[in-house]
Amino acid sequence: MKSEKKQTTFIRWFLERPKTTGFITFLFLSYVAAFIVSQQYKLIKEDEQREMNNILNVVHQNIEQALKNCYTTTLTLALTINDKGIPENFDYVSEKLMESNSNISAVQLVPGGVIKYIYPLNGNEPALNLNILTAPNLRKEALKSIADKKMYFAGPLELKQGGVGIVGRFPVFQNNKFWGFSAVIIKLETFLKASGINNVDDSKYYLKFSKFDIEKQKEIFYISNKTDFSKNYSINRTIPDGNWKLYLISKNKNYLYSQIVIPGIIGIILAALFGVLIFTLLKIPEELQSLVNTQATKLLNSEIKFQAIFDQAAVGIAHINSFTGNFIEINNQYCQLLGYSQQEMKERNFQSVTHPEDLEEDLMNLEKLRDGKINEYSMEKRYYTKSGGIVWVNLTVSPLFKKDKKVTTHISIVEDISAKKESEKLIKKSEIRFKSLFEDSPIPLWEEDFSEVKNYLQDLKLIGESLETVALYFKMHPDVVEKCISLVKIIDVNTMCLDLHKVKTKNELILGLAQIIDKNSIPDFTKQLIAITQGEKKLIVDTKIKNKEGEFRDVNLRWNVIRGYEKSLERIIISTEDITERKYSEKIIFNSQQRIESLINTIDGIVWECDAATFNFNFISQKVENILGYTPEEWLGNPTFWRDHIYSEDSTWVQNYCKIKTNDVLDHDFEYRMVAKNGSIVWLRDIVNIVIENGKAKSLRGIMIDITKTKEAEKELHNSFNLVTEQNKRLLNFSYIVSHNLRSHTSNIASIVALIESSETEEEREQMMELLKTVSCSLNETMLHLNEVINIRTNIGLVSEPLNLEDYITTVRNVLSEQITTNEVTILTEIPDEAMINYNPAYLESILYNIISNSIRYRHPSRKPIIKIKLLVENDMKVLQISDNGIGIDLVRNADKIFGMYKTFTNNSDSKGIGLFITKNQIDAMGGNITVESEPNIGTTFKIYIQ
Amino acid sequence: MTKKAIWIVDDDAIYQIIVNKIIQRSEMFSAISSFKNGKDAIDDLHNALENNQHLPDIILLDINMPIMDGWEFMEEMGMIKPKFPKEIVVYIVSSSIAIEDKNKSKSYENILGYLSKPVTVNDLVLIASND
Repeated sequence: MKSEKKQTTFIRWFLERPKTTGFITFLFLSYVAAFIVSQQYKLIKEDEQREMNNILNVVHQNIEQALKNCYTTTLTLALTINDKGIPENFDYVSEKLMESNSNISAVQLVPGGVIKYIYPLNGNEPALNLNILTAPNLRKEALKSIADKKMYFAGPLELKQGGVGIVGRFPVFQNNKFWGFSAVIIKLETFLKASGINNVDDSKYYLKFSKFDIEKQKEIFYISNKTDFSKNYSINRTIPDGNWKLYLISKNKNYLYSQIVIPGIIGIILAALFGVLIFTLLKIPEELQSLVNTQATKLLNSEIKFQAIFDQAAVGIAHINSFTGNFIEINNQYCQLLGYSQQEMKERNFQSVTHPEDLEEDLMNLEKLRDGKINEYSMEKRYYTKSGGIVWVNLTVSPLFKKDKKVTTHISIVEDISAKKESEKLIKKSEIRFKSLFEDSPIPLWEEDFSEVKNYLQDLKLIGESLETVALYFKMHPDVVEKCISLVKIIDVNTMCLDLHKVKTKNELILGLAQIIDKNSIPDFTKQLIAITQGEKKLIVDTKIKNKEGEFRDVNLRWNVIRGYEKSLERIIISTEDITERKYSEKIIFNSQQRIESLINTIDGIVWECDAATFNFNFISQKVENILGYTPEEWLGNPTFWRDHIYSEDSTWVQNYCKIKTNDVLDHDFEYRMVAKNGSIVWLRDIVNIVIENGKAKSLRGIMIDITKTKEAEKELHNSFNLVTEQNKRLLNFSYIVSHNLRSHTSNIASIVALIESSETEEEREQMMELLKTVSCSLNETMLHLNEVINIRTNIGLVSEPLNLEDYITTVRNVLSEQITTNEVTILTEIPDEAMINYNPAYLESILYNIISNSIRYRHPSRKPIIKIKLLVENDMKVLQISDNGIGIDLVRNADKIFGMYKTFTNNSDSKGIGLFITKNQIDAMGGNITVESEPNIGTTFKIYIQ
Repeated sequence: MTKKAIWIVDDDAIYQIIVNKIIQRSEMFSAISSFKNGKDAIDDLHNALENNQHLPDIILLDINMPIMDGWEFMEEMGMIKPKFPKEIVVYIVSSSIAIEDKNKSKSYENILGYLSKPVTVNDLVLIASND
């Protein structure tokens, strides 16, 4: 068994490899053929060799025989030599010998190597007396013969007597001493004849006869029909007596090969043919096998595919016994659908899992199928799942095997349609809902079909045209619009539409748009047509309708293409909300708004509103143009307009103030400046109310009132108030001065009087009286000063006139000339020539005098006084500036006292503290001002401002 | 009771003469010194301190004076006050009846009183006896 199997596997190995097998066969047969051919070749060769050997043997024997005869002859001839070394009866013996041996053509005796005796002498004379031991072509052979003491055949050679012959020389020794040769000469021709060469079949073979020439050391051939026979087959035999060689040569060069090549080739061809045959034969089953394999693979694949489809199908597939309803095979999807395992399913039948309401129909269908009334059926049915739930499936049943046309099993394919069922339910629900929404909507709704309108417009090539083109077209072709109206199909309307149009039944409306639409509404309908041409999906337009009772109603028409019908426009939802009341209220509102606006515009102030968070204005009344010059559009066009146009000095605090007040939700009322369009500054009083919404500041409303005039008046008032205050202060100051100065004197007087009264001596009394006089003088002086001051102050109607400043300076110079000279004072003036100032002449002189004399009085002890007088202009005011290089005044300590009465700062006895006091009063009286700049030890500068 | 030394600081020469007479009449004071302004008085105070001379017990001080007025004198004296071996009492004697001056005098602790001119012997007796 095992070996058998091995054998079969062995054979199969070959069967499966046709190429190898074919080749092996070829090799094997080639070998067999080669073997046969080689055997044959051997046989032929052996035959021939034998034949050739035979021939050669015969020839050889013949030659041997002839040579032996010659040997005998020479020996016999040698016997004729007597003891003295002289042949006896040579001729006779020779004759006899010649007769007995017909091959021999002559005999010789060669005593001492010289041919002395020849028989027959006739014809052989030329050889007589030839010394063979000296003849160059004979010597070597002769000497060899002597050395060997053996007969030696020389030649074939050219005989002296003519012709070619062989000379057999037999060395003769007498008493072991070489006597000479006994020789026979055989003609080559004769020799060859005797050898029987001529009897050789010359069609097949030929003989060659050679001698190895010792002299030339090379083989010399004597029968020379063909010299080169090396390529032919040959055998040879050596004849030692003459150093000859006999060759028998096959005439046909490759005779043997030709004998084996043809069968050899035939053998190989046959072997090749067999190989190919075997290959071809073996190939067939292999091809068949591969075909089978391919088919098998295909089959397997399709089976796997089928299995995969069965197992992994998205639908449930089951193989069911049509009689019992048992599941024979069932896929996972089916099991999963019902929640059972495969094993559990196989233990059940379909009846047990089918919903009882669907079972009857299912069974009925199956019966029809079994009876062959139907080929297959499908139905929607319910299954109970393992968990008790219901799953909706679409069942398709097809019979599988028919035995005698009877259905025994069938394939059920189930598809889970629970979701579909669910969505169907939802759709139904939503449809009902939509229907009720549509029907019960508080807004009139229309479901219309514009498809024909669109087609019509398409035919007119209006779709996609530019807005202007289409609008113009409709304007020019009212018939087209009318046609479009007639093409609108009203599919459905809701109850509100009936209300709106005051009709009883829907049919009255559904009849068509043409009988509902009022001619006034046609332009609005045209808008719908334009919207269609522009590819728009919705349109909102306010229009009017005329109801059945002939009443016009304002409606807000909303035209919407239902999604999914954008191309065809088969379904359009149109709502026509009745906005008559709204329109009416809007109009009322509009009117009242207009009234308010006109009211606002009559207010002499800018009424405004802005956002509380950003201060961006959203309203500003017309008055802004009157007050600030800006138009409301300009103002509202820029969100930061207000901020940007607040006067720069006020901008920051105004914004901060507004922010704080707004954050605290406090109404506010404040004043600030804004820059008007013409660049002027306008004072505004802004009264702001905060509008609160949900507890937060929503917006600000206010009114800006132009208070520029008030402000100016206020400023003037303020100025005059300041003036009055100043004068008041001066008056008070003056009254203090008066009181103080007078009091100091009066108190002195009182004290002196008391001392006089209580004085005990006359001397003392007189002393006191003197004092009293002094006090009286001082009092008088003070009174004069005060008078002077009062004069200045009361001189309200002071006369001012144009004065040449230079002249007055000169006057003062003259008055002070003595001091100027004494103190080496330099006065420098920087005054334009003929500079005139409007001043009171007395005051100007007094002022110049007081200040210049002060400068001289308070000169610095260590330098010469220099006084500079300049006339400058500061802020449109003329300024007389007088500076010196004097001792200066410590202004830090004395700033408030410098222009006070009786304020002195030095111990200088000349200081009375009245000069600057009067000067200041004079300047004040002229409506000017005086300031002082000074530094101790550097100098002092007075600036007199002249109005 | 030891008699006290008194300084009079006033720029009014006539007043100086008068007040000297009155002081003499009162016989309440051991020594009288007169100064034309605050600066002279404060310089003398410095000198007295340095040379260990007699310091005044009472100073009669005017307000309005050139170079250094009464208030400035008070400021200067306040600075060297810690060096004084004894207390120096100051009375303002002024012809001013301005309430501001009166009030201002109360802000200085060394100022014991405010006298309006004319000064009488009785005033001085009161000052001298007031400890």
